[in-house]
Amino acid sequence: MRLKDNLLKGFVKENPIFSMALGLCPTLAVTSSLENSLGMGLASTSVLIGSNAIISLIKNFIPDKVRIPCYIVVIASFVSVVDMLMHAFLPALHKSLGLFIPLIVVNCIILGRAEAFASKNGVFDSLVDGISMGLGFTCSLSVLGIIREILGAGKILGFQIMPDSYQPMLIAILAPGAFITLGFLMGMIKMMQKKEK
Amino acid sequence: MKNYLRLSGILLIICVIASATLAFVNKKTKPIIDNIAAQEEKKAMLFVLPEAESFEKHEDGEFVYYLGQKSGGELIGYVFIATGQGYSSLIRTVVGLKTDFSVNCIKVISQSETPGLGANSEKREWQDQFKGKKCAQISVVKDGGEITSITGSTITSRAISNSINAGIKLLEVAVVKEGGNK
Amino acid sequence: MELLYKLLFISISTVFVQNFVLMRFLGLCPYIGVSKKLDSALGMGMAVIFVMSMASCITYLIQYYLLVPFGLEYLQTIAFILTIASLVQFLEMGIAKYAPALYKALGVFLPLITTNCAVLGVAILNIQSTWADGTPFNFIESILQGFFAGIGFTLVLVLMAGIREKLEYSPVPESLKGMPIAFIVAGCMALAFLGFAGFKI
Repeated sequence: MRLKDNLLKGFVKENPIFSMALGLCPTLAVTSSLENSLGMGLASTSVLIGSNAIISLIKNFIPDKVRIPCYIVVIASFVSVVDMLMHAFLPALHKSLGLFIPLIVVNCIILGRAEAFASKNGVFDSLVDGISMGLGFTCSLSVLGIIREILGAGKILGFQIMPDSYQPMLIAILAPGAFITLGFLMGMIKMMQKKEK
Repeated sequence: MKNYLRLSGILLIICVIASATLAFVNKKTKPIIDNIAAQEEKKAMLFVLPEAESFEKHEDGEFVYYLGQKSGGELIGYVFIATGQGYSSLIRTVVGLKTDFSVNCIKVISQSETPGLGANSEKREWQDQFKGKKCAQISVVKDGGEITSITGSTITSRAISNSINAGIKLLEVAVVKEGGNK
Repeated sequence: MELLYKLLFISISTVFVQNFVLMRFLGLCPYIGVSKKLDSALGMGMAVIFVMSMASCITYLIQYYLLVPFGLEYLQTIAFILTIASLVQFLEMGIAKYAPALYKALGVFLPLITTNCAVLGVAILNIQSTWADGTPFNFIESILQGFFAGIGFTLVLVLMAGIREKLEYSPVPESLKGMPIAFIVAGCMALAFLGFAGFKI
């Protein structure tokens, strides 16, 4: 596979959220602001890169029958490492993401990429795949985060961008807003794809 | 059978390597994490009672409070942490009191209330209305007190006010007891 | 009396006020994925209730009798996910052998549950949850929370499946068909559940 294709696929063609509907829980739960979205996205990306690399390194050593438990152990250790590092060096972000850091383990994107890509390809390709998918995930989270933060608080990254007269739509940062925003975004993407055809 | 042993052996090796890595990272980060928690508490205590130079921990049963002292040992106030069940989370507030048990300053240190509603309890403007209030005045207006609720978040406001109110009562009892012992 | 109060508190708060799917955003993949048909939604729900109660029970024991005494709390994530994965595997084998009828009904859903984040979520939440006075949940309370979290999941899954079966015959705009409209419907349901929030017993 060509490097460029491999690097770009995570953003559009195989975008994990919008076209494959994977990893929905963190997508909806932490995107109430851009800051949280970026934090979650980058944490998942680093886990994804690490686990992809290690799994493709040891893929010949793991017997087929126990491969899923092995993948889970590798992923869970990376998640724990990221969890501890964030707790130590980014305590505020760690607090606002809370429960969803350990839950990166069960994010289907990560196990999915391990099974579908890293277990069949070389280390370098798997690294690139991890970067591409991870950043694609981060971008999608950020789009949702930006929309919800503007609508719900009138701010981006905590800076006021809407005029003072704007009455924030609280619903956008509450739970229902997450579902509805994602629903309409997916609909828009579907519409655009159809027009291209 | 031999095959099964091999399978579990490999799984075991991977688990051992993983746990060893985690143990190493944990050893490196644990002191930093503990330090952050301790420092945050210290910082919050200094914030609510800025004139104090040292804090002395006291306990009365399960109630923990701190005496804020100047370097000479002169008592200038009390600090305690109030905990109350809010709308969707436990809210912890550090409360600083003057020696006459009126509130010097409060600071909400942990909550995960609804963003845009209850979470506004972290705003300084709201917390500043507690300044100078005495125990009897601290409850929301709806309950006959003098604390103005955050718009749309009576439950959060009530939880914070009531936890502070209860804390001050415990503190008064504890301080009297302490004084009696001396 | 106190027990009854706690039972009421846990049941209402986990089923309605802090519903796992609509308020805590846990277990969304099966919520969107398995809610196309009513009977499969019901099967999935039953399997989740079962696994969540079992997982709450076992992870509680692991946390307090294995991890805490040896100071290994940092292995929590790894230990819990491995426990859940093997629990699901054993359950599948056990049910297939001793209750073939049940296996026929639930079998296909069991493997899907390993990657259902609601199960790991409830295990971790059981350890983190506290009462207003700061005491952590005990063994029974943890199992109850697991059980009722499963009930809450099943409730919204079945409701959603009912709505989606009707949606099949509704004139939905072309580009919103399928997944997007499912999310918008979920949003409306979340809006309705928001009404339970702040409910005091």
